Amino acid sequence: MRTYRRLTGFLRPYRRQLWGSLAFAWAAMGMTVLIPWLIGRAVNAIESGDKPDLLPLALAIFAAAVLRLGLTVVRRLVAGRVSLAVEFDLRQTFYAHLQRLELGFFDGQQTGQLMSRATVDLGAIRFFLGYGLIFITQNLLTIVLASAVMIVIDPWLALIALAPAPFIVYTASRYNRVSRPAQQEVQQRIAELTAEAEENVSGIRIVKAFAREEYQLHRFSRAVSRVFDQSIYSARLQAFFSPLIGLLPQIGIALVLLIGGRQVIAGNLSLGDFTAFYTYLVILAGPMRMLGVAMGMAQRAIASGNRLFEVLDREPRIESAPGAPALPEGGGRVELRGVSLRYEQLEAAAGDAALADVDLEVEAGRTVALVGPSGSGKTSLVALIARLYDPSAGTVLVDGTDVRSVDLASLRSEVAFVADDSFLFTASVAENIAYANPAATLEEIEAAARRAQADDFIRELPDGYDTRVGERGLTLSGGQRQRVAIARALLADPRILILDDATSSVDATTETAIKAGLREAMAGRTTFIIAHRLSTVSLADEIVVIDDGRIVDRGTHAELMEGCGFYREIAEHGLADSVFLQRDLEQREEMARL
Amino acid sequence: MRELRNISRLFAALWRLVRGEDQRGRKVRWLVGQLRPYRGRVALMFVGLALATAAGLAPPYLAGRAIDSGILAGDVAALDLIVVAFVVVSVLYAAATYLQTYMVGWVGTRVLQDLRQRVFVHLQSMSIGFFTRRSPGVLISRMTNDIEALNQLVTSGVVTMFSSTLTLVGVVVIMLALDVQLALVTFLTLPLLAIASIAFRIVSQGAYRATRERIAAITAYLQESLSGVRVVRSFGQEPRHVDEMTELNEQNRAVNMKTVYLNASYFPAVELLAAVATATILLYGGSQAIDGAIQIGVIVAFVGYLNTFFEPIQQLSQLYTTYQQGMAALDKIFDLLDTEADMIDAPEANDPGTLRGEIELDGVWFSYGEGDEPGADSWALRGVDLHVPPGQTLALVGATGAGKSTFAKLVARFYDPQQGRVLVDGHDLRGVQQRALRRQLGIVPQEGFLFSGSVRENIAFGRPEAGEEEIEAAIATVGATQFVAALPQRIETQIGERGVQLSAGQRQLVAFARALLAEPRILILDEATSNVDVRTERTIERGLERLLQGRTAIVIAHRLSTIRRAGKIVVLDGGKIAEQGTHEELIDAGGPYSKLYGAWAESSAA
Repeated sequence: MRTYRRLTGFLRPYRRQLWGSLAFAWAAMGMTVLIPWLIGRAVNAIESGDKPDLLPLALAIFAAAVLRLGLTVVRRLVAGRVSLAVEFDLRQTFYAHLQRLELGFFDGQQTGQLMSRATVDLGAIRFFLGYGLIFITQNLLTIVLASAVMIVIDPWLALIALAPAPFIVYTASRYNRVSRPAQQEVQQRIAELTAEAEENVSGIRIVKAFAREEYQLHRFSRAVSRVFDQSIYSARLQAFFSPLIGLLPQIGIALVLLIGGRQVIAGNLSLGDFTAFYTYLVILAGPMRMLGVAMGMAQRAIASGNRLFEVLDREPRIESAPGAPALPEGGGRVELRGVSLRYEQLEAAAGDAALADVDLEVEAGRTVALVGPSGSGKTSLVALIARLYDPSAGTVLVDGTDVRSVDLASLRSEVAFVADDSFLFTASVAENIAYANPAATLEEIEAAARRAQADDFIRELPDGYDTRVGERGLTLSGGQRQRVAIARALLADPRILILDDATSSVDATTETAIKAGLREAMAGRTTFIIAHRLSTVSLADEIVVIDDGRIVDRGTHAELMEGCGFYREIAEHGLADSVFLQRDLEQREEMARL
Repeated sequence: MRELRNISRLFAALWRLVRGEDQRGRKVRWLVGQLRPYRGRVALMFVGLALATAAGLAPPYLAGRAIDSGILAGDVAALDLIVVAFVVVSVLYAAATYLQTYMVGWVGTRVLQDLRQRVFVHLQSMSIGFFTRRSPGVLISRMTNDIEALNQLVTSGVVTMFSSTLTLVGVVVIMLALDVQLALVTFLTLPLLAIASIAFRIVSQGAYRATRERIAAITAYLQESLSGVRVVRSFGQEPRHVDEMTELNEQNRAVNMKTVYLNASYFPAVELLAAVATATILLYGGSQAIDGAIQIGVIVAFVGYLNTFFEPIQQLSQLYTTYQQGMAALDKIFDLLDTEADMIDAPEANDPGTLRGEIELDGVWFSYGEGDEPGADSWALRGVDLHVPPGQTLALVGATGAGKSTFAKLVARFYDPQQGRVLVDGHDLRGVQQRALRRQLGIVPQEGFLFSGSVRENIAFGRPEAGEEEIEAAIATVGATQFVAALPQRIETQIGERGVQLSAGQRQLVAFARALLAEPRILILDEATSNVDVRTERTIERGLERLLQGRTAIVIAHRLSTIRRAGKIVVLDGGKIAEQGTHEELIDAGGPYSKLYGAWAESSAA
């Protein structure tokens, strides 16, 4: 009930339209109920041979129908507008709330789950709020009005005729409640089947190489059978419910024919009233079914509402304090004081702290390389600087100010990341580079691209800087994506630049060229570099070695080679031994062609 | 008149099908042939359909009879009899509807299940070349979307076609039989209904497509904001995304508003038409009845039939779209099924038994282009001669496009060369049964492609009958024991899209174990170029070493450690062998390899 009240809260801004639409719906229903009564009068007139009465009655039916047309058109327009407005508001509220939530929330959520909230659940709610409520009142009113007229004509016959009504409503609502989830499950299983087919097509080389066609067919057949079973279940539900819902009103009609007919013969009921009864029952079958459907809708909407409110009620944990000042001017000095970080949402990492009691000072303008095995805490450490997470203990300071005390937007505009997966949005290359500053001019964009060694390949794309890239655009290679991401970070002109394995997919020669651009770009900023390649690490003034969430050592390359066994191991075996012979050859070939 | 035109087109198309004048005739006959195993059920389905339609037509007539023969005649016995008939017919209707709905669902789903399997089996019989030429999305869509479109045609299409036509004909016949004049007067509303439906159908088709496009755009945008949430947060661009979403949301509202306008004009108009028809029947039929020309029950029956009369016309008009979409899907599916599998084993192909693993390329020229005379530029391999003795590790080195992976694919016989021969143990691969060859082949792709499923299923992929100890041993040999033990459900952990995401290094190790367990005589390995951290790197190195032991291996090598250890290094350049030898030999020879190595050594020392 609480959820229901909160859901109807979304209707509050449209109260007036809603009541208006209801008033129109009720008036239209009045006309719908009036017509069978008029038919009954007409039949009486026919029976008594009263020809002159026929025309006025026919005209009255026509007039009622025209009036109903007008009322219904207005009702549909107003209700449609309200429904769409509610849908708009719901989606807007949900999306804006998602944008307020901190990164940690998304770590613990499956994208599919959130997507289903935004599509399936939102759809169920808007349908209920937009149409369901009106359906319920409208159909309820039709039934009440028709029943009232029938009771006035003949209370006992009315009672008998309406006996099946509750069963119809109940059956229809039950059908709606069970069939929807069953159909959604069919869709879900079709999605699984698609995934299976996809995997088989993309992995066909492996399948063929291991001569495992039969096994793959077996897997596919299993997915196909799962779709089959669920489809049959869904068909069985439909086969069971829809004839039942059709049969129940017929019972009422049969009772009217039997009992009402006898009354007409006995002279207790006029033929016209009898016909009106009959017609009422014929036209009531629809509203009774719809009332049931709408009630099923209401139940699903409440379940969906609960799931939606779960997200909406989740308060953002990282937000600017009210009236927080902007990050004060500075050169980008970073300090971590006794910082520990424990991810709450990640099951796998629940036991270990990602960072444990880290102290680190990096003077403004310095370049620091973070080196260590994967999972050692390098990425977590840099995430804290932009306050993507809050530490569980300790303080992170930028230019001497606790990041928790400043305005979040002002902080993040001074920190730019290039991550190893280099996510690009579906937009033009230029828009992607100008992501942090949409007002940037084309010259600025091109300058950033040149520094990132991206200008050359961008010019060769089908539409140059206007080429659409990203998930629904042209697919760039990993190395190309990284270079666009580097350009994006450079254009942001941040105080603090973070390169998280930013050149991992770039070949050795291009990396050398990017390094030159980066050296220039790094001037006047504080830079953090996370890298597995010695060549990239060499950009740093200083190297910080991290293992298991702790800082093991720090110093220059030479110092560490001398004094830190762990670093020496990494440098000798991990960083140096990937030789990209084929890429160097490629480069040579290109040079030879020029 | 598009409404009526569509209906007439539909019948014309069906007639062409029956006469076999259409290429589609063959396809539809084939599709109908797929129903043969389920003849009994199909018959039941049609019985159900016919019964339900007939039973659905009876109630208004019976109600009319109840008034005329029972009530007005004052005959209680007749009234009782008619009511009994009414109840029987209603129950029959319900039972027949149950039968029809269930059978249609069953047969439709079953036939499409069969078809899906068929497409899948057919796809698997195609060569790798086929898969490179076709986009994966299109192939997948053959097994999913196109089958669904066909499902629409087979189930709702056939049912609507059959029952709506039958109902329409039935109502017209009953009305004419009851009273010709009144029937003709009632039919006057037909053109009006048709015109209203035409206008609605034309405009709404586009409007509904627009709403689907808009909502798809919103879903895609949302999906992207979620997968890119890290970038959004780190650049602090949330307000911008909210603005963009508002715009999409606003567009969605606008296109949906159009459908609201359309529905608000069409449906009330149909209601009005029904009321006009009712008034007409009462007025005209009423005065006829007063004159004694017809009975009152006939009028009541006519009013009752109006609804059953309006519905089938509206439904039939939608059918042409379903028919078109279904037929388009059928064409696409046939296009695939008609593509014959290439590279089928020759009838005289033999099983060479257990291989020693000797590989020989003899004057091999290969091009991915189709036809026998590829252009001069398109040769991927140009006259390659090479002998690999059993048990040797061969490292292929060269630029992208130099022919390394083509070389490997020819040994796996994913393709046949246009000129020259590829021999294994002295057998030309074209004369060897493909499965016999591939059973003794192991492949480790660069990205370590794994299937969704448990770690165990993935490792046992090549040899599902492998015992527990063998699997454990394979894991231990490649050095994956530690990471597998750390997974939430160990070896039973689900990986892939719906499971745990493995890192690049971990995927490599699982792919190693998979190849090792298959005990291949020949191993083809495309080494990963990605950076992994130092510990994983060394594990992979050791795992690789063990994997290569005791078998012939062709490695597309990227790591110096692998290249150094190889029995022979082949440097490919532009589809030709530039030089070959061991690491030491090539360094001494002072060719391209030694220059490369020198350049690398210099840069890494810096």
